[in-house]
Amino acid sequence: MTGNPRMTLQEIIGALQRYWSERGCLIHQPWDAEVGAGTMHPETFLRVLGPQPWRVAYVQPSRRPADGRYGENPNRLYKHQQLQVILKPAPADVQDLYLRSLTAIGIDPAAHDIRFEEDNWESPTLGAWGIGWQVLLDGQEITQFTYFQQAGGIDLAPISAEITYGLERIAMYLQDVDDVYNLRWSAERLYGDVRKEEEYELSRYSFELADTDLHRRLYDSYLAEGWRVLKTPGGRTALPAYDWCLKSSHAFNVLDARGAISVSQRAGMILGIRKLACAIAAQYVGPADGEAARG
Amino acid sequence: MAELLLEIGAEEMPASWISGVTEQLRQRFTEAAGRERLQPRAVRAYGAPRRLVLVAAVVDRQPAREEQVFGPAVRAARDATGKWTAAAEGFARKNGVAPEELGQAAKDPAHPDMLSLVFVRKIAGRETIEVLPAVIGAVLRALAFPKRMSWDAWIDDGKGAFPFGRPIRWMVALLDGRIVPFAIHAMVSGAKGPVVVETGTQTFGNRFLPRETAGRPVDVPSFEGLKQALARHFVLVDPAEREARIREELRSATGQSGTDHALILEWRDLVEFPTVLVGRVPDEFMTLPVEVLDTVLVHHQKYIPLRGGSAAGVRFAAVVDGDGANAAEIVRGMERVVVARLRDAAFFFAEDRKRPLAQRVADLEGVVFHQGLGTYKDKADRMVRLVDRMAGMGVLGKDDHATAREAALLSKADLTTLMVREFPELQGIMGGLYLEAEGPQRADVARAVRWHYHPLSIEETAAPKGRLKAEEANVFGAVSLADKLDTLAGYFALELTPKGSSDPFGLRRASLGVIRVLLDFWEARAGKQPDLKALIGEAVTGYAGVLKALPATTQQGLETFFLDRLAYVLGTRGFDQDEVAAVVHTPGVDALHDVQDVLLRLRALHAARAEARDDFEHLAVAFKRAKNILEKAPPAAIDPQLFESDAERELHAAVGRLGARDGSYEDRLRALAGLRVPVDRFFDDVLVMAEDARVRANRLGLLHQTVSLFYRIADISKLGGSI
Repeated sequence: MTGNPRMTLQEIIGALQRYWSERGCLIHQPWDAEVGAGTMHPETFLRVLGPQPWRVAYVQPSRRPADGRYGENPNRLYKHQQLQVILKPAPADVQDLYLRSLTAIGIDPAAHDIRFEEDNWESPTLGAWGIGWQVLLDGQEITQFTYFQQAGGIDLAPISAEITYGLERIAMYLQDVDDVYNLRWSAERLYGDVRKEEEYELSRYSFELADTDLHRRLYDSYLAEGWRVLKTPGGRTALPAYDWCLKSSHAFNVLDARGAISVSQRAGMILGIRKLACAIAAQYVGPADGEAARG
Repeated sequence: MAELLLEIGAEEMPASWISGVTEQLRQRFTEAAGRERLQPRAVRAYGAPRRLVLVAAVVDRQPAREEQVFGPAVRAARDATGKWTAAAEGFARKNGVAPEELGQAAKDPAHPDMLSLVFVRKIAGRETIEVLPAVIGAVLRALAFPKRMSWDAWIDDGKGAFPFGRPIRWMVALLDGRIVPFAIHAMVSGAKGPVVVETGTQTFGNRFLPRETAGRPVDVPSFEGLKQALARHFVLVDPAEREARIREELRSATGQSGTDHALILEWRDLVEFPTVLVGRVPDEFMTLPVEVLDTVLVHHQKYIPLRGGSAAGVRFAAVVDGDGANAAEIVRGMERVVVARLRDAAFFFAEDRKRPLAQRVADLEGVVFHQGLGTYKDKADRMVRLVDRMAGMGVLGKDDHATAREAALLSKADLTTLMVREFPELQGIMGGLYLEAEGPQRADVARAVRWHYHPLSIEETAAPKGRLKAEEANVFGAVSLADKLDTLAGYFALELTPKGSSDPFGLRRASLGVIRVLLDFWEARAGKQPDLKALIGEAVTGYAGVLKALPATTQQGLETFFLDRLAYVLGTRGFDQDEVAAVVHTPGVDALHDVQDVLLRLRALHAARAEARDDFEHLAVAFKRAKNILEKAPPAAIDPQLFESDAERELHAAVGRLGARDGSYEDRLRALAGLRVPVDRFFDDVLVMAEDARVRANRLGLLHQTVSLFYRIADISKLGGSI
């Protein structure tokens, strides 16, 4: 391994945050609600709307209940960590900026096979899609790179570049370990010390214990509350409404992991979330000329 | 002539686009430059992931041309005294000449005698370099991509917003070394912003190589200069060179000659400077089925599996972009990804086999086939019904029926396995493998399940050709037909039919599969082959309980679609389109009742016509004429008493002889040539539309009988021909 091969997970995060901070990104914090991906953080989903320039980076723990493996699979996790970067508008040298960030964490691009392979992204629940690539490092996907085209059903201008680093994958590569739980999180602690019990308990909950009737009610109630808040006269309710939208999405994911959703119900439930997300986006950008409500 | 070099430097375009977009670039440029009278010659285009390159010879300057400007009509140009009228003088003055200097010409070629005054305006050609910017803009606009993106770009050509396949990052545009000016602007708030890309002399090579100058721009004077400079910077512009390098690298890296694989062409357009590395699959995974191993290697990692040779086990070849200097470490990374994926696959393979496949059929109730078309359990049940119908037609023996029935029921069960959920392309294959693992008594069912998604291609040698035992052909065929017909009927009932290039549910491919099963796989024992028309009807009614309202047009729409696809398949087999039309659209026969018979008739027609091309052409014209006449008047039964001439009697006798004739299609068609003389004589000597209504109807009857004579085989009037 070239460069600095033994960066710990927290050093990798620190190096990437420093790198993007030096390039004008605001360093934000993870969103404090369950989300399936960094894209769902309002600092991405809402900020890519409207005309205001924006640069932000943050780590987002991302919960995917169906991917839980009780801490037994060396590659799959109920909750993994993404480092998400939004550059709005996307600068002309965005690929180079990204590649230099790899150097910052000890990957020498000249010594590896780094490839941008077509992989377009779509989020049916958010009414969002984009054009882009998965970035492969010697055949391993380490980053999703997307030019957002639409969010909340709204065509975007300017176009934002979203760079999503899969932190565990990158760290496993850099530390040359085959099992995510053997990653060194810090100099003293392994990933397994920190998270293995959590993976077990959360997997057990989402596959065995989650009360499906409750989650169905939660899904409906969250959506209803989101709509109620959003439609409150006077506006300026997009953010709380969006919190409820995210919660309904998580309730849906739990039900999905429990196998409690038939395929035909599935489409309808996704549509339910998308409708609210699109309405929130519409309120956020404001009427007519797309002027953002804040900023 | 001058050399135009155009390079469009973009962010990585998908490999699957490159060759198509490159060809478009060549064509669109040729058209646009031609329109501007730049007389493009030797237009070549090359594509790689990060660039599209065009080189062409064009004139230095547009040729001068003349334009006729028409004025008043000549008869309005002079008054009665012969003096120029005000209109004529005004026209001359406007063009800066005296009336005497004007010429005369017809404005409308259809009326050459109506002359107008004309002024011939000479238009000087513009310098090519002045014309090219608009040509470049038009070409960029005209390139169509499978998916376009907004990248906040703007072109100042009156159209504004400029979406493209991927963001453009640099452009080289040189006319004999001189920069052709062209710019792309940023789009800011929906309007023109600052320039983001401007044409120049600088290209970019590999991002990281050579290390000393990585990422720096490289000046180029010409196409040759570009090619050579890029080769030094680890970019082979010409796809043919990349392919040659891949083949050579494969040879030296694997120690095997002639390694071929469909991936080679994808590799060619996946990287700009291909280098091949070889890795190894750990032996612990040799217990996995080959199909699973290859799916991970080929579909997910785009690696070519290598078997045999001196090494034991399985190795894989991978392409990397650049010099591969750090090969050992890169390969280690690749192997690690392969191992992680195979470990998943091995886990799925073990888990899935804990339950027999038959137990999974009930689980299909939770898997929706398509919104509105029920679950996969419903689909499996409908497939069984279709198989039963085939047995009812007498085209499946008793044992075959039982096997096909079981296979149809089990065919979709693997959709619930972990393996297929992770690797959807293994559908069918896993069902077959899991059934096989359940014991040898399931082998025939397993093979039908394994192959029922096939045939996937129009190639006659494509799988499962040669993969099935002869006696298994109809079991496979029955399940394959049932699956595809059910799919087609469902989507047609929802009116989700293929349109233009959009066929999201693969319905054209499904129909092709149906036709190929009937043409190429079905063993017609005792001359019996499934009646496609009846099966279409059965497939459509299969949805009666699923869809609230079954559109009345579904059946008709499917039949038309199938006739069209049948003609398409036959057309790819070396028959002329008019021959295909003659056997597919034959008034007396519904081609869908017996598709194999259509092919037999077509072969016969093709052979007989080749022997007597002249006679057939002649008769085709005569039959067309006869059909036109018959369209206008109803024929009657023939009464020989009403014949008035020998020509009628002779034709009647010839038709009678031919109609009574037995023998193969080809024999009978060969005899058709004998009609030429009596038909010609009939048309020469006889006035069909005679005054006497009875005589007229009798003659029409004779004509009708003549053209109908071969309707059981082919509609001769559809053949092309001229006298």
